[in-house]
Amino acid sequence: VRLWRCRCPALLSRPAGALRASRGLAAGPEMHFGFQTVTEEERREKIYQVFESVAKKYDVMNDSMTLGIHRVWKDILMHKMNPCPGTLLLDVAGGTGDIAFRFINYVRSVRQRQLQRKLKHNQNLSWQEIFESYQKDKFNSLGDSQVVVCDINREMLKVGKQKAQHLGYSEGLSWVLGNAEELPFDDDKFDVYTIAFGIRNVTRIDLALQEAYRVLKPGGRFLCLEFSHVSNPILSRLYDLYSFQVIPVLGEVIAGDWKSYQYLVESIRRFPPQEELKAMIEDAGFFKVHYENLNFGIVAIHSGFKL
Amino acid sequence: PSHSYTGQGGQESEDYESEEQLQHRILTAALEFVPEHGWTAEAIAEGAKTLGLSVAAAGLFHSDGSELILHFVSECNTKLSELLEKEQKLVQLGEAQKKPIDEFLRHAVEARLRMLIPYIEKWPQALSVLLLPRNIPSSLSLLTSMIDDIWHYAGDQSTDFNWYTRRAVLTGIYNTTELVMMQDSSPGFEDTWRFLENRVADAMTMSNTASQVQSTGEAVVQGLMGAAVTVSNAESSRAVT
Repeated sequence: VRLWRCRCPALLSRPAGALRASRGLAAGPEMHFGFQTVTEEERREKIYQVFESVAKKYDVMNDSMTLGIHRVWKDILMHKMNPCPGTLLLDVAGGTGDIAFRFINYVRSVRQRQLQRKLKHNQNLSWQEIFESYQKDKFNSLGDSQVVVCDINREMLKVGKQKAQHLGYSEGLSWVLGNAEELPFDDDKFDVYTIAFGIRNVTRIDLALQEAYRVLKPGGRFLCLEFSHVSNPILSRLYDLYSFQVIPVLGEVIAGDWKSYQYLVESIRRFPPQEELKAMIEDAGFFKVHYENLNFGIVAIHSGFKL
Repeated sequence: PSHSYTGQGGQESEDYESEEQLQHRILTAALEFVPEHGWTAEAIAEGAKTLGLSVAAAGLFHSDGSELILHFVSECNTKLSELLEKEQKLVQLGEAQKKPIDEFLRHAVEARLRMLIPYIEKWPQALSVLLLPRNIPSSLSLLTSMIDDIWHYAGDQSTDFNWYTRRAVLTGIYNTTELVMMQDSSPGFEDTWRFLENRVADAMTMSNTASQVQSTGEAVVQGLMGAAVTVSNAESSRAVT
């Protein structure tokens, strides 16, 4: 425990060389893993191990670290997306399925409202016609919407599938093992691409953004929910205090794994700030890129369109 | 920013279209779906689909349909200007008679209101969105520029009105007639056109009285209050159904 306490203040000053490596570009074989410097391959492996070990306690830890506020963030993301029935969503690094389940709920309720409105307009139809339209719509409660959850980590997918079964989600949901830097999908397939709290763990962010661009249909939307930088100095101090003092301890107590949560907190500090991420998204070819800060920048939602 | 846009046939046409132009095209395409879906993101999504874009493109706009409505109003105003311009040319070429002022105003307002007919069912919803604080600057400026346009083409006949009164009078006439039209179920909206005729006639006689400025101001205020009440009633009755 003493070890990480001594390490942090020194590294918080962020030496310039290490900062360049944190851009996620292949400036050389050196990359960051939290505040350590590692090669690309080592980083991928280390991150895989982190999520392999936290998979079972992932949701519990999310709730305790963010005091349940992560649910609100994800709800806001869904509200911003405002998907209509018939949308095809790709949720990358979607692991335990939080975004996917919210998507299904949202689309289902929109669809219900649609059907109710249709029903009101159908007041002048014969009984036969009403019966037929009922039949057609009954088996289409999602309106052909679908979500594909893609994650690089088998353990996270396993936990996700179990959750889906437990909560009763079956329709319109599929689980695919895949790497965000090299997606196993064709071009121009999806309406919306989301990556919630996942892009931070991608080793080559530029590749992931290019892949996102590739698999989206023209007019498709890229949405990224991620921890970002707090500009307010007072809040920033409090946030740092909480992050470095409380979270790893929670990690040890709840998940028995302070190293993984140490990594988590450090990786947040290493991640590019809002404007930089916006520039990277624009470089990948997206238009109308803008971001929205939640909770003063603790979390930010970046959005872009393939036009 | 310029970009290449892949056309529907899969061919790459180097259309250096700006984002604005693309958004315009999406909104225009979306108008077709308004009678069915209302002024909503769904209509915009359907519009985007017809252009070969993903339904997610509706995320480019506000979910309350503000941009769609403002786009429609702006398009209607443009169409009205073009119509009046054409007619003015005919008069200048001597091919048509110059209308007396009351007939001209009636004709212009009626032409503009007729553009609402295909969307009349969902228009109350649009009006309530236009009255949102966020949209008032834009909707007000569109309204006043349309009114100014009509007066411009009406010519300098009305020397007894001063400029502000003219604007206020016609705005009052337009707004009240619009509200009447939304609740009019007569064939061909004949009740609305008769109402319009009466209001314009009132305005003409009003110009002869000295108290016209004050009463016009009052009339306009009452008109706006009535508008707010009618719209909120329409909204609440829509919410109930």
